[in-house]
Amino acid sequence: MLKLVVCIKQVPMVSELPWDPATGTIQRDLAEGMMNPACRSALDAALRIKEAAGGEITAITMGPPMAEEILREAIALGADRGVLLTDRKMAGADTSVTSHTLARAIEKACPGFDLILCGFSTIDSETAQVGPQLAEELDIPGVAYVNELEISGRTVRMQRFTDNFLETLEMDLPGLVTVTTGRYAPRHVPLGGLQAAFAGADIVSLDAAAVGLDPERIGAKGSATKIRNVYSPTAGKKNIVLTGAPKRIVEQLFERFDDKIGGAIGRDLKTERK
Amino acid sequence: MTAKKRGIWVFGDYRNYFQNRVTLQLLSRAKELAVKINAEVCAVVFGYKTDEWKGDVLSYNPTFCGVVGEYIAHGADKVYLADHPRLAAYSMETYTLLMERLVKREKPEIILIGATAFGREFAPRVAKRLGTGLTADCIGLDINEEGLLVQMAPSFGGNLVAEIVTLERRPQMATVRPGTFQEIPHDYVRTGEVVKVPLPKTLPADRVRLVRSEHHPQREQKLEDAKVVVCGGRGLGSKKKFAKLFELAELLGGEVGATRPVVYADWADHDALVGQAGKHVRPQILFSFGISGAIQHTAACNDAKFIIAVNKNPNAAMMKRADVAIVADASQICTTLIQELKRRIR
Amino acid sequence: MDFNPCMKHKVVRKAVRMFAEAELAPIAHDIDRDARFPWEVMEKMRPLHFFGLQAPKAYGGAEMDTISYAIVIEEISRVSAAVGLCLTVHNSVGIYPIVRFGTEEQKNRFLPAMTQGERIGAFCLTEANAGSDAGGVETIAVRDGRDYVINGTKIFVTNGGVCGTALIFAITDTQNPQRSAAVFIVEKDNPGFAVGEIEDLCGMRANPVSSLFLEDCRVPETNLLGRPGNGIKIALETLDTGRLGIAAQALGLAQAAFEDSVRYSKERQQFRKPISSFQTIQNYLADMATEIDAARLLLYRACAVRDAGRPFGAEAAMAKLYCSALATRVTNTAVQIHGGYGYSKEYDVERYFRDAKVTEIYEGTSEVQRMVISRAVLARRT
Repeated sequence: MLKLVVCIKQVPMVSELPWDPATGTIQRDLAEGMMNPACRSALDAALRIKEAAGGEITAITMGPPMAEEILREAIALGADRGVLLTDRKMAGADTSVTSHTLARAIEKACPGFDLILCGFSTIDSETAQVGPQLAEELDIPGVAYVNELEISGRTVRMQRFTDNFLETLEMDLPGLVTVTTGRYAPRHVPLGGLQAAFAGADIVSLDAAAVGLDPERIGAKGSATKIRNVYSPTAGKKNIVLTGAPKRIVEQLFERFDDKIGGAIGRDLKTERK
Repeated sequence: MTAKKRGIWVFGDYRNYFQNRVTLQLLSRAKELAVKINAEVCAVVFGYKTDEWKGDVLSYNPTFCGVVGEYIAHGADKVYLADHPRLAAYSMETYTLLMERLVKREKPEIILIGATAFGREFAPRVAKRLGTGLTADCIGLDINEEGLLVQMAPSFGGNLVAEIVTLERRPQMATVRPGTFQEIPHDYVRTGEVVKVPLPKTLPADRVRLVRSEHHPQREQKLEDAKVVVCGGRGLGSKKKFAKLFELAELLGGEVGATRPVVYADWADHDALVGQAGKHVRPQILFSFGISGAIQHTAACNDAKFIIAVNKNPNAAMMKRADVAIVADASQICTTLIQELKRRIR
Repeated sequence: MDFNPCMKHKVVRKAVRMFAEAELAPIAHDIDRDARFPWEVMEKMRPLHFFGLQAPKAYGGAEMDTISYAIVIEEISRVSAAVGLCLTVHNSVGIYPIVRFGTEEQKNRFLPAMTQGERIGAFCLTEANAGSDAGGVETIAVRDGRDYVINGTKIFVTNGGVCGTALIFAITDTQNPQRSAAVFIVEKDNPGFAVGEIEDLCGMRANPVSSLFLEDCRVPETNLLGRPGNGIKIALETLDTGRLGIAAQALGLAQAAFEDSVRYSKERQQFRKPISSFQTIQNYLADMATEIDAARLLLYRACAVRDAGRPFGAEAAMAKLYCSALATRVTNTAVQIHGGYGYSKEYDVERYFRDAKVTEIYEGTSEVQRMVISRAVLARRT
């Protein structure tokens, strides 16, 4: 039976962001969390493998205790068990440290795994780095940006379209893929499944000590990169308002911005004045 | 003998050279950064028969032809070149291994990699092996007063930008979004040093096997890469009025995008969806017609350099984000714009 | 006492909200304008157990607790109250009476198709001369061998135009209407069962509310729910449950109107300031927020009483009375905050405003709720 591991992350719900456009800040602690869309696609890919060929799916996440929500959700969708990595010491990790933490936890909680599936990127930090670095950490073959995959025997065949190349690739298990959101449309959560996932589900919670992690190598402490400053690029933008008759508006638009528009389309839009 | 100059390296990603000039853009920015920390700019090229490769530069100097010639002409002081049949196709594992060994030998200060799909998979692997930090998909780079590389990374669909530094570990690494910097014009009398990098004696076989690879360069004019994007929302009123956008887009040499309600109403294909569940656009100019601006949509438009929005409601979120907000009927403005453009473009 | 939502209820809310925003929000405006029932969304809801929210697992339901149920209705109604209406009627007054009063045979025969959403449920009490007064029902079912033959006309049937299974409230003895009242399960393919014209209503326009005609409609006696004479008891108990759903629907509407008002008041500039900086608007928003919170607590409390297995009729009536009055008030203020735009069909608050009013009318008018509440109050205080 295939042992599938799906790495998922809880990200702030975009539509719910307590977002102040004037100052460009987000109060993350007020934001409600949701499963990252690409992680949902990765889970969907795993569910399809399970539905077609059988298998056992472990969903794993690192985050605050609240991240248990998305493990329950994953179980409602068809995952078999959940692993929650939660420890204040893990907070503030960059991608390299995150992949280190995940790798050690997967070795601990899912020994003998066959395939790890990650979302290709998350909508909060958008690095797309954890998947490839996790493959490095575990020293297994890995392919990013996978649109479609199928498994026959111990071989995974994958398709991806990146940098204008449509590629078909193969690797032997164990391996890792990061999945795009194109082909694997996230499913909606069945409400009955949700009831069951809260009635009784196999979820284990692990902290740094339980995984056997060196506190110096995890969280913000172990991270090579540091965030110095955060700002909103849209704050303070000039906002010119044009009103009046359409003809007059369009004339004004060209009077003031013909260079700008002409520059973008590579043509001279100036007219000789009569 | 003078001390060895510090290096700012740029990975030579030449696969889609004529559509994606990110390597050239990075060489240009690297030159500016190099002045601030007194470094030399180096390109790293892995491939096979790279000298036969034809770019912009018609060189008669056999040393500086092909990919190497291009990069020197665009600002590289030095090029590390590994040219071997094993490197004919981009290979993640082999390229990562070569890069790791080269970096450990030469110890560059900074490595910049274009945020192509390959670059964004390659860079984190290299960073992991080197045990250093990496910032993804930067939209700005600078050197601060401490001499550190400031890596400006967008998050939440560009709603926020974080300034990130790598304190102790080296090299400092970043992937950079195409279009962030301007390339400098080529100078084909420029010369540089070429350092041949031999392949290791034993090179393990790739664990990921390339079964088939097809190049589809025709897909270059995608919505995501368009310089001009014309987006329409429900405020246009009808499918017929929405269809006018195609005429406008053609005049502007741009692409048409749509919001979710419009795609649902079947005024436009799903391929045109600009939003969190659809495409992210980054045009020089974005025209937005009759779009109120749900955050799922605006997040996908944040990289537009200049936004012209048209809406009857001056308070629509899209209008607030626009550089120019036109308070009027979207469809009327579209029609008038088409007329005026036809008059101006001969 | 714990007033914090538990993780399950939070996750249920998010799951339904994501569904509603992805699948329903893009069409909510149009289905109201076109008075169109969104079958395509129903197809997507079916495998997710929206049609068997509280029904037992054995019959294909999700067996949710009542607070979860209220959250589902609230979140769907926040985006489209008309679709929320379809769901709450189907789940509460459509399915619940069969779960509560049906025989094992009836449950096996009718429930699976309903919980899977193959047959949408409706509950038919109201007639030209009967509504709040169930005793005025004139639809009659006459016994004929092992069958009943039903004749009569039902009006204002929610889901009427799309229902597959209708519970028909009828009398079996004209001499003794009150004590002979009964509820029959009638399916749309029963000969003599016909859907009348779709009503042209002020709000809830995506729900095909219609009249239903029963003309010598013959059903086997095994379609009788409970016994003859049980009708009033079934109706009252059913309506207690139904009221929780309508309260949740009203709450969802109020929530939507409130959120739109907050967003708009921050965007809309007058006198070079966002209108949210004016104290009048701030007062409106503060009152809305406070009342919505109070309504939500009242509703969830009533649901919790039901889940605890205690009588909850008065609590349900209070929740329904308060939530529906709140919905009307909040949607009205929301239109006011939006000014001229609020009165335009371009903005959703106009739809909320039209949708809200009926929550004070159906499933027992506010006046009837007060009757129910005062009865309970008077019974307790001697």
